[in-house]
Amino acid sequence: MISCADFMAEIGNYLEGDAAVEVRHQLEQHLAHCVTCQVVVDSSKKTIQIVTDSGSFDLPDPDLKPIASEIMNKIRKEHGKT
Amino acid sequence: MGDFGEIPLDASSVALAVFRENYGFVPRLYRAQSSLPRLVEAEAALASAILFQHTTLTRIEKESIVLAEAAGRGNKYSAALQWQTLLLLGVSTERLAQLTSGDSPAVSAPALDQCLAAAWASFICTLAAGLCVDPDFAPPPLPACAAARAAPGIYRGEMNGSPDGSAFAFFREHLGFVPNLFRAQAARPAVVEAEAGLIASLLMTEDALTIRQKELVMLVACAWDRNEYGLALWSELLRRAGMPLETCDRIAAGDIAGPDKPLLDFAARLSAGESDLASLREHRCTGPQILEAIAATALAKFLNTLQIGLGVAPDFEPRPVAWPSVENISNLSAEQPRPTDEWVPVDPDLETVNAVRSGNIDAFEQLIERHSRRVYRTLVGILGDPEDARDAMQDSFLKAFQHLENFQGRAKFSTWLVSIATNTGLQRLRERKPLESLDESGPEAEETFRPRQIRAWTDDPEQLYSQAERRKLIESNVMKLPAKYRIAVVLRDLELLSTEDAAAALGLEIPTLKTRLLRGRLMLREALAPHFTRRGSEVAN
Repeated sequence: MISCADFMAEIGNYLEGDAAVEVRHQLEQHLAHCVTCQVVVDSSKKTIQIVTDSGSFDLPDPDLKPIASEIMNKIRKEHGKT
Repeated sequence: MGDFGEIPLDASSVALAVFRENYGFVPRLYRAQSSLPRLVEAEAALASAILFQHTTLTRIEKESIVLAEAAGRGNKYSAALQWQTLLLLGVSTERLAQLTSGDSPAVSAPALDQCLAAAWASFICTLAAGLCVDPDFAPPPLPACAAARAAPGIYRGEMNGSPDGSAFAFFREHLGFVPNLFRAQAARPAVVEAEAGLIASLLMTEDALTIRQKELVMLVACAWDRNEYGLALWSELLRRAGMPLETCDRIAAGDIAGPDKPLLDFAARLSAGESDLASLREHRCTGPQILEAIAATALAKFLNTLQIGLGVAPDFEPRPVAWPSVENISNLSAEQPRPTDEWVPVDPDLETVNAVRSGNIDAFEQLIERHSRRVYRTLVGILGDPEDARDAMQDSFLKAFQHLENFQGRAKFSTWLVSIATNTGLQRLRERKPLESLDESGPEAEETFRPRQIRAWTDDPEQLYSQAERRKLIESNVMKLPAKYRIAVVLRDLELLSTEDAAAALGLEIPTLKTRLLRGRLMLREALAPHFTRRGSEVAN
């Protein structure tokens, strides 16, 4: 039976669904009886979901137009357009 | 209920006022979509034009049609909402029971309004099934019968009705013609205008799914509905956007491969009446993306029901498609490797990129508008500073323009652009913050992570805060991560790049990227835990 340290060494692949079948089987055996690792897995999955759904660092619409215009002005200037 | 935005809609929302005025409250079906207010507003406008505004049918007659259709489809959510609505409008429970048991509502008005009500039923039933919304009220008993369908061809009038009206301007401007389906509704310009509004809000935006992805969802939904009209229309629109008709035919027949497969499988299942939200979650689709997939499927169902009811002739030659069947669903769900010469999605930017290369410099502005959010997020992730990110964003787009000839199309344009932005950001970071290096090649893989926060999280942590609060919380904590972890998290969990693309953009080996991503995620987990743990939960042993 693997230890919590072993589990934590493989948790990245486990969360990504990349763990080999045999390794995954061992990890799940460990998870079945280890509440700490269950909590870490569950909360890590929820962390990823919350981050993905957060819409963080979105550029506000009012900021977009002036930036796009400035870029286009520079491009047109470079190409001798007005 | 699926989590697509528990936040309340803006108090100034017109949609809120429409629903409150006509239902007395805001049904869960619409509250569940509040992460995309543009969609809810467009749906409210369409509900208003079809159901709430005065036409030759009374509201009770129209709501009765919706109830009968919802009951015929066995859709508990919609049946419960319609039952309660009609009850409040004064319809007796005896009559309501007749309607839910298959008794057709008696109407004596133009069939167009009847078809519109049936199409609306199709729309909300698909939305409710897709979103897995709990009913607002206890559902009435429903018969165990097959889905009711509008009889085809009951209306064939006004096919040439005044396509010059302002309601048609949208279609002429964006499609270059007015499809027969909308011409056939010339007697209801307010409805056509609301339909155009929903199409614009849902299908012509790029902030969740791409336009191409949504058009493919429409195509698949039409194929599963065996709707020749819709299939010919969406095939033609995809062809105009650069997808070969043969590819459209193959996808319509259920032969789907490529990165959009999970999305299109979902649309196929939902068209067949089954919602598999978990599969999209597993494939890392965001809430707004899932919501758009559901809404696009519902819109296809709406238009298909309307077309069948009105008996509208196709605008284009029907496609010779072998209709997908239930067997295709099981095939779709199997993880079968496909040969690499199978369909590879056409880069939606390729046409615009080629236009710029051919000398149409102004077309580059479209690329800026489409991708500025992605570029900005990437740069904030690297630089950790919004002002720096805005500045670096200009540099990135200028570099992309200058090197556009070097873009060879091996990756999608958006991926290529993110690589340029990443390099621009990394260069700036090295110049401005030499101490915060991304290049440390320390023994990351050997670092031992020991979780300190080991209290169980609440089952539904996203319900604890509004979307604005969550966003603030995530942004402040992502900013606190060391740069090398922060950028890995931003590229994978916010930009949703694949591991391979994120590693390539950063010039890292895949194992290094994976290690940094894991460390970033676990550090974030530690930082977020105090906000999401169950109250009074025990510390795990």
